[in-house]
Amino acid sequence: MGKSLLISSTLTVLALILTAVKVEAGPLDSPGAQKSLVCSACHGFAGNSPGNTVPIIAGMNANIFKKAIKDYAEGKRQSPEMEPYSKYVIQFGIDEIAEFFASQKPTRVAAKADAKAISRGATLATQCAACHGPKGDGDAEKMTPALRGQPTGYLQAQMALFGGDKRKLDDAGSDEAKKRIFKGLADGDFADLAAYYVTLK
Amino acid sequence: MPKLSRRQFLKASGASLAVLSAGGLPSFAAEAKRRVVVIGGGWGGATAAKYVRLTDPTIEVTLLEPNKEFISCPFSNLVLAGVESLKNLTMNYNGLRKHGVRIRHEAAAAIEPDQKRVRVGKDFLPYDRLIVSPGIDFLWDQIEGLAQAKDTVLHAWKAGPQTVELAKQLQSLPDGGVVVMTVPPVAYRCPPGPYERASMIAWYLQTKKPKSKLIVLDANKDIVSKTALFKAVFKDYAANLDYRPSQKVEKIDVGAKEVTTDIGDKVKYDVINVIPPQRAGAIAVEGDLVGGDKRWCEVDHVTYESVKQKNIHVVGDATIGLPVPKSGNVANAMGKICATAVVSLLNGKEAPVIAPGNTCYSWVNDKEAIAVVNAYKIENGKVVQIEQKLTPGKSVGVAQNSLAWRTSIWSDVLG
Repeated sequence: MGKSLLISSTLTVLALILTAVKVEAGPLDSPGAQKSLVCSACHGFAGNSPGNTVPIIAGMNANIFKKAIKDYAEGKRQSPEMEPYSKYVIQFGIDEIAEFFASQKPTRVAAKADAKAISRGATLATQCAACHGPKGDGDAEKMTPALRGQPTGYLQAQMALFGGDKRKLDDAGSDEAKKRIFKGLADGDFADLAAYYVTLK
Repeated sequence: MPKLSRRQFLKASGASLAVLSAGGLPSFAAEAKRRVVVIGGGWGGATAAKYVRLTDPTIEVTLLEPNKEFISCPFSNLVLAGVESLKNLTMNYNGLRKHGVRIRHEAAAAIEPDQKRVRVGKDFLPYDRLIVSPGIDFLWDQIEGLAQAKDTVLHAWKAGPQTVELAKQLQSLPDGGVVVMTVPPVAYRCPPGPYERASMIAWYLQTKKPKSKLIVLDANKDIVSKTALFKAVFKDYAANLDYRPSQKVEKIDVGAKEVTTDIGDKVKYDVINVIPPQRAGAIAVEGDLVGGDKRWCEVDHVTYESVKQKNIHVVGDATIGLPVPKSGNVANAMGKICATAVVSLLNGKEAPVIAPGNTCYSWVNDKEAIAVVNAYKIENGKVVQIEQKLTPGKSVGVAQNSLAWRTSIWSDVLG
């Protein structure tokens, strides 16, 4: 047997074994994956929501995830869908579920690129950058969530809540700053901002 | 040395990768494949088949489903009002094939629990674990005259050709005509479904045939689900919707175009929609999976294994005893939980303790919807509700959320 053949067959064997071992650590083997099985009905497989009004929670910072769950459970953020499920998450293990989603890779939303809307959104978004960052990545240290790549329906629904002062920020100073920004925004601006953030690379 | 399961063997081989020789490989192939058979490719069965493969691709999964296409019952009431097409609710099973699910578009003829096999035509499919998701069948004989007229008196309670046909009948209704719809006594598939249908038909009449009327004869004492929300909706349709509770239809006379209720009321119709009383799909009854009521299947709340037959699990609308509605969302959750349990048990592990959830939207006109959401936990081995939440009222936002839900859950079931 030639050396290269030996190496290649060894590699094949290794590849086979590695494939087999990979099976062992399947995507659903972790406790967090099992405890969050019901979530995929709305949030998609491993948190990659394909629906326009449901946020992508794959890759979400674990602390931000946990705060969102607690806010929904306490009614600070109001959602008839999320209030019962937030209690479910707390019941079954918020830490493991948060870690599971944080460790998943987010996929990009296939959004239509309307260049004019994106450009208008980019101009408006300069006000958001102070907290959400120049690339919309948020700031996990300050518990500011990422906006980049979230579906437009979800972004617009949250902006409507902020605009109507139905969603508040914990920090009084930040909440005032947010109110000032939203006072200066017209309803049509929400769609432009969403178009900008969903397509932001 | 005790015999290692395939999974344990893989784990051991992963830990000692360096010393494993090529000679170890044939023993993978030599070990018998573990086989799961799934009967029924609806919300519960299709989900279960997919998730067994996702969780452990070394398990062979065969799905038996006579229909070549999956048609979503959720949203089919919108087809009746002409605001949705059945085509948008129709999907194929190719997504499951990509996960390695073997699909046979045939009906299971019989379950043979002693031989651990399912008969399909002249063929036998052996299984290590069987998952039965048979949906519902109708109890035609509960309404006099219905069995003989079941081809013309439409139920449209399994989305498909009957949905399209009932929509056509409503379109042909002259303005000023009467539509009669009957609601069966609980338990039946989709508790809020009849009231969503009533709302959508009433909306259609109000906007297209304002002199017409829908009479709802409900065998139950009150609206079964989302009661307060539907009551508010029904008020908006007062001119076109006559809701009559505690009116169980016992007889239909297609010649006279008339139904008779248990209190002797006779109601004439131009278009009739009878949603008959229901039980678990026939295979569950013939396979001795149903309980004393001869209608529904009792299961373990963690593994979904039948309390009557070992190694046979039941999911979806056919189950009873859990405090959950017979909904597509619950069937999808049961499918995932049951798949996880089946894989665990086949690998010699304890099944994880996971509870279902239910997100249920009902449209009430061409743009707005309402919703109820339930979360559950497991207490002393039983499913118990943690919380139920309703939307404050109907809204466009809830309807938009329902569209996101359907995109996601259809993909979870079939994608």
